[in-house]
Amino acid sequence: LTAGNKIFHLGPCRVSLSITEIRAGFNAIKASIQARDPIKTLSILSHPYSLHKVKASDRCCIALHLFDFYVDKVFKHCKAEDSYLNRKISSIANSFLSARRKLEQCHQQNQCPCGQESDEKLEQVLVNYEGLNVTSAAIKSLGELDILLDWM
Amino acid sequence: SGELYCSLPNPRNVRFESVNMKNVLRWSAPEGTGDGVLYKVKYSVYGVGKWIRKPECRNINRTWCDLSSETSDYEEQYYASVKAFLNGMCSNWTETTRFNPLTDTKIDPPMVSVSSTEKSISILLTAPEKWKRSPEGKSISLLQVYPGLQYNVSVLNKKTKKRWFFSISNNTLVVPWLEPETAYCVSAQIHVTTPLLHSGFSNEQCIATLKDQTTK
Repeated sequence: LTAGNKIFHLGPCRVSLSITEIRAGFNAIKASIQARDPIKTLSILSHPYSLHKVKASDRCCIALHLFDFYVDKVFKHCKAEDSYLNRKISSIANSFLSARRKLEQCHQQNQCPCGQESDEKLEQVLVNYEGLNVTSAAIKSLGELDILLDWM
Repeated sequence: SGELYCSLPNPRNVRFESVNMKNVLRWSAPEGTGDGVLYKVKYSVYGVGKWIRKPECRNINRTWCDLSSETSDYEEQYYASVKAFLNGMCSNWTETTRFNPLTDTKIDPPMVSVSSTEKSISILLTAPEKWKRSPEGKSISLLQVYPGLQYNVSVLNKKTKKRWFFSISNNTLVVPWLEPETAYCVSAQIHVTTPLLHSGFSNEQCIATLKDQTTK
């Protein structure tokens, strides 16, 4: 376990995440990314369903699918014109990629069950995301990374 | 919304200042305005579609407004906004950045209590409490808010100026094998790994180890 890494216990699965590095990276871009998101009346992750109300048994499935969501639908659509921001975003993306890989291995051993409630929450995240154009949705989702990290 | 045309300069530096989740909205008066400016305040929960007025901060002349009660759910994030009025003129609403009470609060140092024997000192650390609505309200330690909370403890031998550092998760520490009749000073800091937060160091608490009874 390298310094700054933390093991997250997500149901039966355990995933090591360089949380200190991710947090520091997010803190560095938070003001700039959130300032590019003018829509205060819509949240991708926290409304109408709050991640904090997720049952313990659903944590693993939701974490896995949110990692998928960020890797497949968020980071790749967050190209900023500022190279500093881009470096921070790709560093966070790489951390998510490795965490997803580990979580998928656990999932393949059928240890990451998805219940109906988690399916509904994940469906809502996608509905919220698709309610905006891709770039706006990606920037908003990136600006909400702390919501995911706080929940984990 | 029937708002007047607003030509007064905006309030400046509108931001949340938070300590132990006592979340106070603060701002500076609009540029070039002296006394007599009045303000009103509204806030919103991020992701929820409406602004909510804060009646206790309507037509106030001070430049702060305590929104601790309105922002006490630290699983949510918030915005707040201020509008200024002077001589029938008004400013535009001026907003904060997005406020996350969990990551954007400052944490006070822990309380440190020390006791000693001949060759050891015992240190008891108490994390600050989260802000609460009233003194009778239920106390919530920041330890419950931040389960990964740790303490960094510094112990200084006043005679030799030798200093030790300890990083502990529980709130008690016994430092053994010390010199009798010697003054030691203890200071402690709170450190949270996720989210990244740490307090300042507490004021030093000094205590002397007792006289060694075996050397009479």
